[in-house]
Amino acid sequence: MDAPVYPPAARFVAPEIVARRMTTADTSIAELKSHPQVWAIVLSEIPAMDARIGNDMIKPHLGNFSLRSLTTFGIVKSAELDKVDVKLAALGEVK
Amino acid sequence: MTIETSRRDALALTGTFTAATALTLALPAGRAAAATVTAPLPTSGRDQPFDTGWRFRKGEGAGLEATTLDDSGWRAVDLPHDWSIEDVPGGVGPFDRTAIGKTATGFTTGGEGWYRKRFRLAGIAPDARVEILFDGIYCDSEIWLNGHSLGANVHGYIPVAVDLTPHLDRTGDNVLAVRVRNIGRNSRWYSGSGLYRQVTLDVLPPATRITRWGVGAWTRRLAKGRAEIAVSTQLDNADAALTLVTCLRDASGKVVAEASAPASATVEQTLSVRAPRLWSPESPALYSLETEVRRGATILDRLTQSYGIRIVTFDPHRGVAINGASTKLRGGCIHHDNGLLGACAYPDADDRRIRLLKARGFNAIRSSHNPTSRSLRDACDRIGMLLIDEAFDMWHVPKEKEDYSHQFPTDWERVVRAMVLSARNNPSVILWSIGNEIPSRSTAEGVEWSWKLANAVKRLDQSRPVTAGLNGVLGPVQKAGTDTARPGHAGKADNASTLFLDVPGYNYRIDDIEVEHGPHPERIVYASETFPRDVFDYKALMDRAPYFAGEFVWTAMDYLGEAGIGAAVNLKKGRPAFYMAGYPWVNAWCGDIDLIGEQKAQSYARDVAWGLSGLEIGVQRPVPDGMFENIALWGWSDELQSWTWPGSEGQAIAVRLYSSGDKVELRLNDAVIGSKTLTAKDKMTAEFTLPYAPGRLEAVAWKGGKQIGLRVLETVAAPAKLRLRPESTSGRKDRDALTYIPIAIVDAQGRLIPDDKRRITLTIDGPADLVAFGSANPQAVGSFQSKDAESFHGRAVAILRSQGTAGTVRITARSEGLESASAVVTLG
Repeated sequence: MDAPVYPPAARFVAPEIVARRMTTADTSIAELKSHPQVWAIVLSEIPAMDARIGNDMIKPHLGNFSLRSLTTFGIVKSAELDKVDVKLAALGEVK
Repeated sequence: MTIETSRRDALALTGTFTAATALTLALPAGRAAAATVTAPLPTSGRDQPFDTGWRFRKGEGAGLEATTLDDSGWRAVDLPHDWSIEDVPGGVGPFDRTAIGKTATGFTTGGEGWYRKRFRLAGIAPDARVEILFDGIYCDSEIWLNGHSLGANVHGYIPVAVDLTPHLDRTGDNVLAVRVRNIGRNSRWYSGSGLYRQVTLDVLPPATRITRWGVGAWTRRLAKGRAEIAVSTQLDNADAALTLVTCLRDASGKVVAEASAPASATVEQTLSVRAPRLWSPESPALYSLETEVRRGATILDRLTQSYGIRIVTFDPHRGVAINGASTKLRGGCIHHDNGLLGACAYPDADDRRIRLLKARGFNAIRSSHNPTSRSLRDACDRIGMLLIDEAFDMWHVPKEKEDYSHQFPTDWERVVRAMVLSARNNPSVILWSIGNEIPSRSTAEGVEWSWKLANAVKRLDQSRPVTAGLNGVLGPVQKAGTDTARPGHAGKADNASTLFLDVPGYNYRIDDIEVEHGPHPERIVYASETFPRDVFDYKALMDRAPYFAGEFVWTAMDYLGEAGIGAAVNLKKGRPAFYMAGYPWVNAWCGDIDLIGEQKAQSYARDVAWGLSGLEIGVQRPVPDGMFENIALWGWSDELQSWTWPGSEGQAIAVRLYSSGDKVELRLNDAVIGSKTLTAKDKMTAEFTLPYAPGRLEAVAWKGGKQIGLRVLETVAAPAKLRLRPESTSGRKDRDALTYIPIAIVDAQGRLIPDDKRRITLTIDGPADLVAFGSANPQAVGSFQSKDAESFHGRAVAILRSQGTAGTVRITARSEGLESASAVVTLG
């Protein structure tokens, strides 16, 4: 039996972003916000969304949490997100 | 105190330095009271204990490093020392409801503290190099020798070495001073403050010597009854006329492999061991790896470290295998504190912690979220506990206002280097974690940091995979090019958070694990944090998914800080099911094992899930009318193994049976209350509700018609006496030696009063100091360092530290209205 080896890579080149269909479940809030047309969809269904996620406790975690994960904390309702997802699906793949 | 060394060490080193090389030297007793005595220290060799005889002053100050300063009024302390666990004025023991850390630090306080130590190195070679190693300082620190600054440190959990040589007085007294600051909100958990880990001194040869952490040894192959170990050794000021000899000794001291080569800056050697005893959690066989620099027959430098021969593989088809044997990680996350001792990393405390977890079936721990102490790693090596060593809780984006993120961009490489190099020979370490729940990890900047960190680790150790604890979502889909990607992964779609990880860790993502396996069958994953309530689901997942390596419950053991995240409280019906714990909650109360080492309800359930027990029983504390029990995400119902609920006669009470059987039955006073057939959907749990009546509650479990478990709870009588049962009645006399003495409140028949709280007072006679006394109560009730404390769940524990001399210690516990109890511990 040989031990596995995990060698370092040679140099860093920024990875290529792959286009994909976004959803409120598997896309981080920060990523949704980074696409103006996507965030506009969110705000069209939940106008107060920026205020709801604007407090200091949540801000550091916007890159790790999806909007759907906030339903656990009562910050947003599933029904609101279902409507957002319908519109995101219509948007197609976003890079 | 006598510093002991083996005859072989003494003989081998005699040729190295001049006449004053005898390693058995008389030191002062080592107790803090002797702090002002200038102690002679060993004149050569590495790893000399340097923990005794310090002076400490709490508070800010300027110029306190001055050699001429009169520190005779400072408090005498022996390390390890954590001032945050000491009583604070106006507080309840160490707890202050106005503490800036609030629930995060368990309402404990930081501030600034100063340490000083006078020492003498008479007899060392005139050109010897002298270094000091602090295994960890929390947090910001600066170190001076004889008034000269030697360096500063900003990370609270890594070993820090400084060279004393340039400013060392080789014939007279030296004064070492350390300023330590723990300022503002810088931690999400209890950190402790001060010189909380061990300190050692190295007296080294002046020219050619083994570089600090310069020896790396990796088991490369196990085949045909032999182990092949690659050893890479770095030398400072290498002289080709010298010889580097590397050998491996077995537990009896016999050399089983040896290699020699001319000295150079880096020496690569291979050791071949016939019929090796392999290291694993089940059989943690250790060897001694010795590295010597020789001039002819004279040994100039020697480094000895323990080493375990093992190969660990991670594979999505077979999971984790240790020496070829598939192993599921039955893991738990831990924070670094030792409960009532605060952050103090006593080797005996770390050893006890690992033994307790091992006894409950854990075979792995995750050091969340910081590099481990040497003493904890050594305990894992000895006892057989796999370990994930973790570097960071944040990178460039803060989680707390004054946390390490501010230093991270300029300091991170030093941390990675210290963590990996100091721990890479510990066989227990199986994964390097570059971070936990890192904010902004999936942004372009975060992805680049992920690459930098993972590859910095791999430049130091290519034998272990890199991981991280990932919560929430995994980020945008990306593809890395050939030069950037992990081998075999170039051009393959992956998520931003997993792109550069060999083994992703999922925090609280049980619903995603199987879903994500579909598009990513190449991944082997594990649950790096889990809720206790999911224990049965994770066990089922472990059984059915080979690519799922195992779980790490949050947490294996209770810890100070993150106060009340596991709280189960009764709320009024009609109120929202929401409770935010605040003062007086001070510990997290989410551990399987409580702060003093006793099993909690969830631990009994885990015993069943992991096969340690066929049946366990939990009785939920009666819920008053008009109330309901609200259990926090990290919590568990307030269950006790108790059938003593005075005042609740006739009230409905919930009894839960946990069993791996297919049928369970509950009886009260010989009358059958009910029986249930258990199927997979029951998740090994059956619940009964019955009116409480004192007597005998009996549970039975069967599997395939065969009885596999019987549990009996009896209503106990009134508290009658105290019971002391030292975990060991004989112990070492050295100053590091701890003795744990559990104390219980029992009835006349000696049965534990399961929910009893009362004041207990101790008296101690003999050569030991009381270093901690208290209970597992998650709420602040008093000091951890007084001889007076309150029991909780009928228990408390006293922890004694040897004064460094042999003798008999008698400890007596008294409580008003109860028969007192005594115990004797012999040290020597």
